[in-house]
Amino acid sequence: MLGFPPTVKAYTRRVREGGCARLDETLTQDGPVPLSKPASSEPSGEVGGRPACSQVKEEVPDVRGPGRFIWWLIARQWKIVLLTGLVSLIWLLPGALAPYLLGRAIDDGITSHDMGATLLWSGLLLLTIVLSVSADSVQIVAQTASWIIALYRVQKLVVRKVAQLGHVITRRVPAGEMLSIASSDSDSLGAVTEAAGRLIGAFVSFLLVAGMVLATSVKLGLALLIITPLIVLGVAPVLKPIQKAQLVERERSSRLTGQAVDIVAGLRILRGIGGEKTFGDNYARQSQRVREAGVKVGTWWASIDALSTLMSGILLVVLTWMGAGELLGGRLTTGELVSFFGYAVFLVFPFQTFFEAAQKWTSGVVSAAKTIGVLGQDPPWSAPEPSSVILREAAGSTSVAAPCSLQDLASGFVAEAGQLTIIVSAEPDDSAALADRLGRYLSATNISPDEDEDGDSKARRAEKAAVRAKIAAADAAAASGDWGVCLGGVDLGQLPLDEVRRRIVLSDASPVVFAGTLQRLLDPTANHTREQCERVLCITSADDVWESLPGGWQGHIDERGRGLSGGQRQRLVLARALLTEPEVLVLVEPTSAVDAHTEARIAERLPEYRMGRTTVLTTVSPLWLRHADRVALLVDGRIVAQGKHEQLLADNAEYRAVVIRGEGLAPAGGEDHE
Amino acid sequence: MSELFEGSAASWSEEPPVSQVPDELYEKIEGGPLKRIRIFLKQHHLRWEIAQQKYWAQRSPKLGIPVTDNGTVVRFIAKLIRTRKGVVTAMILANVVAAVAGLIAPSMLGGLVDYVSSTTHPDAMAHVSRTCLIVIGVIVAQAAFNMLARALSAVFGQDMVAESREHVIRSVLKLPVSTVEAASTGDLVTRVTRDVATMSGGVRWALPRFVIAAVTVGATAVAMVLNSWLLALPLVFTAGLLAVATRRYLRFGTIGFVAESISYGQINSSLTETVEGARTVEALNLQANRVFATDDDIEVAGQRETFTAMLRSELFVEVGFAYRLPLVFALIIGGWGYGQGLVTIGQITAATLYLQQLVSPIELMIMTLNWVQRGIASASRLLGIAAVPPDRETSGEEPADEHLVATDLYFAYREGHDVLHGVSLDLTPGERLAVVGPSGGGKSTLGRLLAGINAPRSGTVRVGGANVMGLPLDKLRTEVALVTQEHHVFVGTIRDNIVLAREATATDEQTWEALATVEAADWVRKLPKGLDTMIGSGHHQLTPAQAQQIALARLVLADPHTLVLDEATSLIDPTTARHVEGAMSALLTGRTVVAIAHRLHTAHDAHRIAVVIDGRIVEYGSHDDLLATGGEYARLWDAWTN
Repeated sequence: MLGFPPTVKAYTRRVREGGCARLDETLTQDGPVPLSKPASSEPSGEVGGRPACSQVKEEVPDVRGPGRFIWWLIARQWKIVLLTGLVSLIWLLPGALAPYLLGRAIDDGITSHDMGATLLWSGLLLLTIVLSVSADSVQIVAQTASWIIALYRVQKLVVRKVAQLGHVITRRVPAGEMLSIASSDSDSLGAVTEAAGRLIGAFVSFLLVAGMVLATSVKLGLALLIITPLIVLGVAPVLKPIQKAQLVERERSSRLTGQAVDIVAGLRILRGIGGEKTFGDNYARQSQRVREAGVKVGTWWASIDALSTLMSGILLVVLTWMGAGELLGGRLTTGELVSFFGYAVFLVFPFQTFFEAAQKWTSGVVSAAKTIGVLGQDPPWSAPEPSSVILREAAGSTSVAAPCSLQDLASGFVAEAGQLTIIVSAEPDDSAALADRLGRYLSATNISPDEDEDGDSKARRAEKAAVRAKIAAADAAAASGDWGVCLGGVDLGQLPLDEVRRRIVLSDASPVVFAGTLQRLLDPTANHTREQCERVLCITSADDVWESLPGGWQGHIDERGRGLSGGQRQRLVLARALLTEPEVLVLVEPTSAVDAHTEARIAERLPEYRMGRTTVLTTVSPLWLRHADRVALLVDGRIVAQGKHEQLLADNAEYRAVVIRGEGLAPAGGEDHE
Repeated sequence: MSELFEGSAASWSEEPPVSQVPDELYEKIEGGPLKRIRIFLKQHHLRWEIAQQKYWAQRSPKLGIPVTDNGTVVRFIAKLIRTRKGVVTAMILANVVAAVAGLIAPSMLGGLVDYVSSTTHPDAMAHVSRTCLIVIGVIVAQAAFNMLARALSAVFGQDMVAESREHVIRSVLKLPVSTVEAASTGDLVTRVTRDVATMSGGVRWALPRFVIAAVTVGATAVAMVLNSWLLALPLVFTAGLLAVATRRYLRFGTIGFVAESISYGQINSSLTETVEGARTVEALNLQANRVFATDDDIEVAGQRETFTAMLRSELFVEVGFAYRLPLVFALIIGGWGYGQGLVTIGQITAATLYLQQLVSPIELMIMTLNWVQRGIASASRLLGIAAVPPDRETSGEEPADEHLVATDLYFAYREGHDVLHGVSLDLTPGERLAVVGPSGGGKSTLGRLLAGINAPRSGTVRVGGANVMGLPLDKLRTEVALVTQEHHVFVGTIRDNIVLAREATATDEQTWEALATVEAADWVRKLPKGLDTMIGSGHHQLTPAQAQQIALARLVLADPHTLVLDEATSLIDPTTARHVEGAMSALLTGRTVVAIAHRLHTAHDAHRIAVVIDGRIVEYGSHDDLLATGGEYARLWDAWTN
C-alpha cells in the first residue's frame, strides 16, 4: 500500500543531499557563477568527510525585481514544482472524473435497475479513488519538498551573502533584517513555490473539466470557459489593497519581533535592575498595533473569500439552469446533468487554489523585495590591476620567510617587519580605527535607519534602497584605488582582498565565539595539531577554561561563548587568532577583560610566540608596553612619538598621561574605576 | 604522549568535523523493491528515534526552560475563549449559518434535477428559472455570512494571538533571575519569535478554518441523515477511520513537530552567530565553516521535515480513503435501495453531492489539524516559560539598615562541586572592598550571591538583618545592585532606558538629575525630542560612551546603597574610559562598593581587599596590611609593580 513511488525517493534523496548545497541536481542548470571566492588558500575546501559546501558551484539569483526573484526560485526547482503539479492533477482527477462516473452509474445502473452496471461504474470510481489517494500521499511529500527547498535555498543564499561580504554587509543591512529574511521571508517564498505547483495542477484540471463539458455540450462548455476567467479577473483588483494592508502588518509585526528579541537580549538587565513593566507595556502596545493591522488584513481576506463563494456559487447555478434547459429540450440525460453538477462543484477547487496562490504571491512579493535587498548587495572591492601582480611578486607575497613591514600613510604609523609594535592612544576609538585601516576594513558607519513603520511602503522601500545604494557607492569609492596602507611597500589596494585577509589577520575588539567544541573553536579549519592548540592555550593562559569545561577538547561552548566569563572568552579569541599564524597580526585590546596577573603572563609569552613576525597591538596597559619592541603614540589621527616604552615614559609627558590614566591611577580623587 | 593539559590527548579528535546527521540517513535508497523498502523503513525509524530524543531532551528542565504538557495549553486556550464569549458565539453562529446556507443550495439544485428529469410540464423552464433565482439569493446570503464569519474569525484570532504573545512576554519578564543568568538566549529568542509566529499561524489561520470545517462537516452529516439514513451509513466508516488515523498521527506528530521546531531554532541561532559575527568570519577566513554549519543545520531540519512529511503522507492515505470510499458505498447501497424502493434518484443524487461536498471541509480539517498541532507544540514551548518555578519567596522581612553581611557561604553550580567554601564578609556601609584573585576562583559567584541573584547552597546574605533572597525584587534592586559588563540599550525612549528600577515612580526631574550626574544631560537636551528620543536598534544610535552613560544613569536612578561591580572594566570599557570615568565616580560616591577587580590598582585604592582563591578568602585587610603580611597579595603586587 505504501509503496513509495520513485518521486518520494527523489525527494528524500534531494533532502538528504540538500545538506551541502546540492539541493537539487537541477540547481546549477544555468551556468553557475561562484558566489564568493573563498578566501582560503588551501586547495582543499574539505570541511568534514564530505565535500565542503564552498566547493559546490554556487548560484547567482536574479535580483532585478521581486517578481523576477520568485520566478528564478521557481525555475531553480522546476522539476519538483512540475511534479507537485502533476501529482496534484492525478489527485484531482477522481474529482474531475467522479461526476462522469457517477452520472453513468446512475443512468446506466441505478435508474435502469442494472446492478452489474452499477457495480462496474462504482468499481471504476473505486479505481480512480485508489489512484487519487496514492497521488495524494506523494503530493504531500512533493509539496513539502517544494516548500522547503525554496526556503532552504533562501537561507543558504543569505548565509553565503554574509560570508561573501563579511563586515561590509553589516554596514548596509541591519542584522535583524537579515535574520528576519532567513527565518520568515524564506518561509513565505517557500509557500509561493509550493503554491505554484498546485496552481499548475488546478489549471490543467480546469482545462480538462472544461474539455469534458465541451464534449457533451458545446453551449455549456463555452459558458464555462467564458464565465470563469471573468470571475478571476473580477477578483483581481481586490488584491492590491490587500497587499498594502499586508505590508503594514508585516512592518509592524517585524518591529514587534524586534522588541521581543530586544527584551530577551537585555533580560539580565531587566531582571537585575528593573523595567519589566515599561518594556512589557511597550511590547503590548506594539502588539495591539499588530492586532489592528491583522484585523484589517483578515477583513480583506474575508471579502475575497466571500467573493470566491459567491462567484463559484453563481457559476453552479448558471450551469444547472442551462443544463436544465438542455435536459428539458431533450439534448441531455439526467445522468449528464448530474455530471454537470459535479463539474461545477469540482470547479470550486481550482478557484480556491487560484485565490490561495494569489495570496501567497502577494506576500511572496513583499518577502522577495526584502530578500533581494540583501542578496543584491555587491562587494565594494574591485580586483587589482594585473600589473600589480608583478609588484606583488616583487614584494615577495609568496615567501613567508621574509617578514613584511606595515605602513599607514595617513597617520605615519609604521610596524617594522618582525617586530611587536604597540599603538597607544588616549582615544581608543582612534587606535581601533587605525587598526581597521591596517587590516583593510571599511570604517564603522553609523547607519541610523530611523524607520517610520506606517509610511508609504513603496516610497520607504525606495528610500531604504537609496540609502543602501549610497553606502554601497561610498564603500566602492573607499575600496577602489590605493588604500593608503602598504605591506612590504605594496599598497593593500594592489593586492587581492583574500590575500590581504590571509596575510594580515585583524582581531577586533568584539569578535564572536561560535558555538561548538573547544577544539573546533580554536581550530575551525582543522589544520592544526594538538600540540599547536595546547601551546596557544598556554600562551593565552587559558588553563582555567580547560578546567571549567568538562570533556576537554570536545567540551561544548555555547552560542557566542555564553557560559564563559568575558576574560575567558577574550583569551580563547586571542588563542584562535594566534593559531592562524599570519604574517601580520593586529590585535585590538586583546586583554581588556583579563585580570592583571593573567595579562602579565600573556604579555610575557606572546611576544616570544610571535618572535620574528610582525605584530601590532593596541592597548595602554604597561604590562604589555614594556614588552613592545616599539611603541607609537597616536594623537588626533597622527603618530606623534615613537620609541621604547621606558624612553617614552621618561621623555614624553603626553604619553605618561595616557599610560598612567590607563593604569587607572587618576591623579585626582583616586577612585577605583578601571 | 606529552600533554600540557590533563586529558588533552584523550579528548583530541583527529577526525574531521562531520555532519550532525548520522551516516545511515545518507544511505541511498536503491536496489530491489524489498531492499528499498527496508532501507526506507530503517531510516524512518531512525528519524523517529532522533525525534524522540530531541523531544525528551527539550522537555527535561536541565536544558533551561521547560516545555509544558498539552493539558496546560488546552486550559490556556479554553481560558482565552471563555473570556471572549460574545465574539466566539457570533463567530460560530455566522459559521453555522454560512454552512447551512452552503448546504441548501445543492439540495435545492438536486431537487431541481429530480424535477426536470421527471416533469412533463410545458412551463417547466419558468419554474427552473424561479428556483435558480432563489438559489442565487441563498448563495448571496451564504457569501455574506461567510464574510461575516471570516471577519469575526480575524477579530477573534488576532485578539487571541495578541493576548497570548503579550502573556508570553510578561512571563519572560517574570523569569527568575537565576534562570535568566543560566538560560540560553537562543532558545528564548526562538520561542518569542518562531514559536510565537507558529502559534499565531495556528490560532489565527487554522483554528477558525478548523471550526468552519468542523461545523460544515457536522451540518453535512446531519443533512445526509435527513436526506436518507440508509445513504448516510457510509459515514460511519468515515468517522471510524478518521478517528483512528488522526489519533495516531497526533501521537507521532507532536513529537515530530517539536523536534522539527528545535531544528529551526538551531538554524536560527547559528545564522545569528554568522550574521553578527560577519566580521569575525571574514577576519578568520571562516566562510566555508559557517556555510557548512548552516547547511548542516538545514540538513538536520530537512531530515525532521522528511519524517513529518512521511507521517502526513500516511495520514492522507487514510483520510483520503475515509472520505472518498463512501461515495462508492453510497452508489452500491443506492443501487440496491432504489431496487427495493427505499430511496429515490433525487436522494441518491443529493447524497453523492453531499459526499463530494464533504471532501474540502474534511481536507481542510486535516490540513488545519496539522497547523493546530504545530500551534500546540509551539504553545507548549511558550507556556513553558511561565512554568519555571520562582527562585525566591518574599519573607516579609524589612532591612533595618544598609549593613550587608554574608555568613558562611557555600555554592555549587553542579551538585558536589562547590565553588565557594564557607565565605563570610561583613561590609561596613560606605566602605569600598576589592575582591581580587585568579580567574575561576569564585569571585563572580560571590558577587552574584551578595547581590541576591543566586541563593547560596548554605549560609546567608543579609542586608540590615533581612535575608536578600527574601526581599521582593523591586525592593532588592534599590538595596543592592549587580553591575556587570553588559550595557544593553533597549529599543525605547531615553526615559524608558533610564527609569528601569523606579519605573512606577520616577519623575522627569529625577531622570534629568540622573542624566546630569553621569554628565549626559547636555547631549540629551540637544536631541530634538529630549527624553522622548527613541534609541536602541533601528533608532537613534548612541556612541559607546553615551550607551555607558545611559547604563550608569540607570544605576544612579535606582540608587542602591550597595553596588557589586563585576568586571566593571568592561562597563567602563577602555575605548570610552575617558568619557565616563567622571560619571562612574559620581555613581560610586557615597555607596558601599564591592569591586570584583581584574586590576590590582583597583585593590590599591580600596579600603579593604579580599583575596579569593579556590572559593575561599585567603587574605583580608587593607593594602598596606596585606603587603606587610607578605602573602599571596604581596606576591601579586610585586609582580604587577615589578
